[in-house]
Amino acid sequence: MTSNTRKQNLWIGAIFAAGLIVLIAAERAFERAAEAAQANGMVEAPRFEVDPTFPKPLPNNWLMGMAIGVGIDAEDHIWVVHRPDTLSANEAAADQTPPVGTCCSKAPPVLQFDQQGNLIGSWGGPASGYEWPESNHGIFVDHKGIVWIGGNGAKDAHVLKFTQDGKFIAQYGQLGKSGGSNDTQNFGRVAKIFVDPRANEAYLADGYGNKRVAVIDADTGAFKRYWGAYGNKPDDTNIGPYDPNAPPAQQFRTPVHCSELSVDNLVYVCDRPNNRIQVFTREGKFVKETFIAKRTLGDGAVWDIAFSRDPAQRYLYLADGKNQRVYILQRDTLEILSTFGDGGRQPGQFFAVHSIATDSRGNIFTTETYEGRRLQKFVFKGVARGPRDQGVVWPRR
Amino acid sequence: MRAGRKTPPSVRRSLTAPITVVMAILAAAGLSLTGAAAPQAGTQQAFRADPFWPKPLQQSWLLGSVTGVAVDSRDRIWVVHRGMPSFTARTEIGLATNPPTAELCCRPAPQVLAFDQTGAVVASWGGPGQGYEWPTSPGGIDVDAGGHVWITAAGPPEAPGGGRGRGGAAGPPPPEDAHVLKFTSEGKFVLQIGQAGKPGAPDSTTGLRRPAGVDVDTATNEVFVADAGNRRVVVFDATTGAYKRHWGAYGQPPGEALTDPYDPSAPPAKQFRGLSCVRVARDGMVYVCDRQNNRVQVFRRDGTFVSEAVVSKATRGNGAAWDLAFSTDAQQRQVFVADGQDQRVFILDRATLQVASSFGNGGRWPGTFYGVGSVAVDSKGNVYTGEALEGKRVQKFERR
Repeated sequence: MTSNTRKQNLWIGAIFAAGLIVLIAAERAFERAAEAAQANGMVEAPRFEVDPTFPKPLPNNWLMGMAIGVGIDAEDHIWVVHRPDTLSANEAAADQTPPVGTCCSKAPPVLQFDQQGNLIGSWGGPASGYEWPESNHGIFVDHKGIVWIGGNGAKDAHVLKFTQDGKFIAQYGQLGKSGGSNDTQNFGRVAKIFVDPRANEAYLADGYGNKRVAVIDADTGAFKRYWGAYGNKPDDTNIGPYDPNAPPAQQFRTPVHCSELSVDNLVYVCDRPNNRIQVFTREGKFVKETFIAKRTLGDGAVWDIAFSRDPAQRYLYLADGKNQRVYILQRDTLEILSTFGDGGRQPGQFFAVHSIATDSRGNIFTTETYEGRRLQKFVFKGVARGPRDQGVVWPRR
Repeated sequence: MRAGRKTPPSVRRSLTAPITVVMAILAAAGLSLTGAAAPQAGTQQAFRADPFWPKPLQQSWLLGSVTGVAVDSRDRIWVVHRGMPSFTARTEIGLATNPPTAELCCRPAPQVLAFDQTGAVVASWGGPGQGYEWPTSPGGIDVDAGGHVWITAAGPPEAPGGGRGRGGAAGPPPPEDAHVLKFTSEGKFVLQIGQAGKPGAPDSTTGLRRPAGVDVDTATNEVFVADAGNRRVVVFDATTGAYKRHWGAYGQPPGEALTDPYDPSAPPAKQFRGLSCVRVARDGMVYVCDRQNNRVQVFRRDGTFVSEAVVSKATRGNGAAWDLAFSTDAQQRQVFVADGQDQRVFILDRATLQVASSFGNGGRWPGTFYGVGSVAVDSKGNVYTGEALEGKRVQKFERR
């Protein structure tokens, strides 16, 4: 072989090699694009946009502390319960003696907003005739217009009923009297309440102390039934921290954070640190479960749920205050269709999104605990095809 | 990381309702406690919070407590925040714990971030490196005419009212910050003045003590430092770091530290109490934030006292004068003062130092504040604020 031919062969080889590299690179890029498309494929799901102007600024230099519950009444008013005492002296500077500054003061714990975001009612706190929770938690307005409040303070073992003006109606259970998950007189740090209008029964997510769903008569508070995970009898034995590699726990892990009844009479329970939703009949017979963000530790991923407002409640919205997301699930399959939100302090972002509710128009309202301390509104934009991860849902500018 | 964090065009809708977070506020009821000059009728200055600035951070990044905001000559907005020690590990940064406690969110953003006018991140850096001592806790930030980024090392932070310092690592406390750092805009180290753990006395020509604010005077190539722990303004050569001069309140020597808390009914203090910023106007006047004395003092470049203004006399606690910035008209007719105790931005007439108006209030929604401790203005007159403590935001207020 002459040196020229050798050179020529080398060139041809180099050209082939280069071509091959280009082909491989193109192939890889294609694969990556396909993976990305799959990871964030287009799906049909409810779509939302955050409304950064909601609610309107609070009057009276008021601040919200940890916003620990949200509910919607029959008139589409938005009810929030928050913890004024979580505001530091530095934040509630105007409340100090002497005042440290012009801003700000603690808002009363129960706040009522209209659809325009105006504050139209505010009340709550200790008074004679009832025991205000050490740490109020969860709010629900039932079909009779009655406002229910739970509490997760160390001694909270009760729920409270008020009129919409804050007039005391009834207390079920007594502060400091919790006898554990099989007590039929008291509760164990109730996280949330749901009232079934058809049977006039209240479902209590019970709670931060107990490991059960408890059902009581909504008018009398009379105890009716209760159950634990998988419909088991609840057992208060400490089962230690959640381990994503362990078999599913046979008991709820506290807090049991929500218990919501659907139109087709299924009870959806937020088993928060176990990262799962368990579904039951009204009698407590286990139906099915699904796991969400299964490797989440600590506070867990399943904080609160709300149903979509179509007649069939086709979708289930799940607030995850650890991963700063709202998941959109198809209710019948419990499949995650889509998500929105991310961490942060701007509109549409979250820090510890704790509670979620829907109004009659399908809009979502969320509240944030810890240092999030906001009520946010997400306007329902219909069911449409779009990316699986909706991201931070800002309006088009 | 995950794709699709931005809302794609297919699901975007036009913003039908205009953003009505209008911050056109005559200083009104909120100022009744301040004892400041009564607002002048007709001096309404309208700003509007832009709830969609900046863009959502990528990579699940979170801003920690923001300690400084600056605008550079290209109208980019620079932010420095406290990073890891300002986060609550259990609840906030589940991707940054060992093991991770979250699957999707979040982790601290690099401590220095620059945003362009659209709100996109265009630079991100910060942290320990060769040849310099990264702050335990940063303070103020300035970008000089040459594009150099100056940051003070102001830690450990005070702990007013719960916000600061809860997410910090265990172990012995790091050395007290006592220095100022100069970097290129890409984060390459250029100069350090002072040494961590070796604070100087109030008459030191080499040492600082928890300096809180920094500003470069382009005309003289001098860097002015608000040396909080020593109750003085110190001036160095901005290229060599060589000491030039210093002074305390009223242009006097710094004097002894005040031990009593601020008392609104007492005569004005002879010393600075929580000095937190220094800014040099184009006309060479030097403005400082005497934070817990609720006042701005004005000097000539040589430290001669000129005048002072109290912005919110009755404010106690952390004080009312946290940071200030000048409007960007040729005469710099206005001074914006960030008040992280009262959750306001005051707008002062620079000639008279009278409070003309204010905007903001307490809260976690757009246009409201918690711990608004830094302020800057771009060439169009838009105002940017940074929130410390648990505010942890940078916000833009459009000039209307």
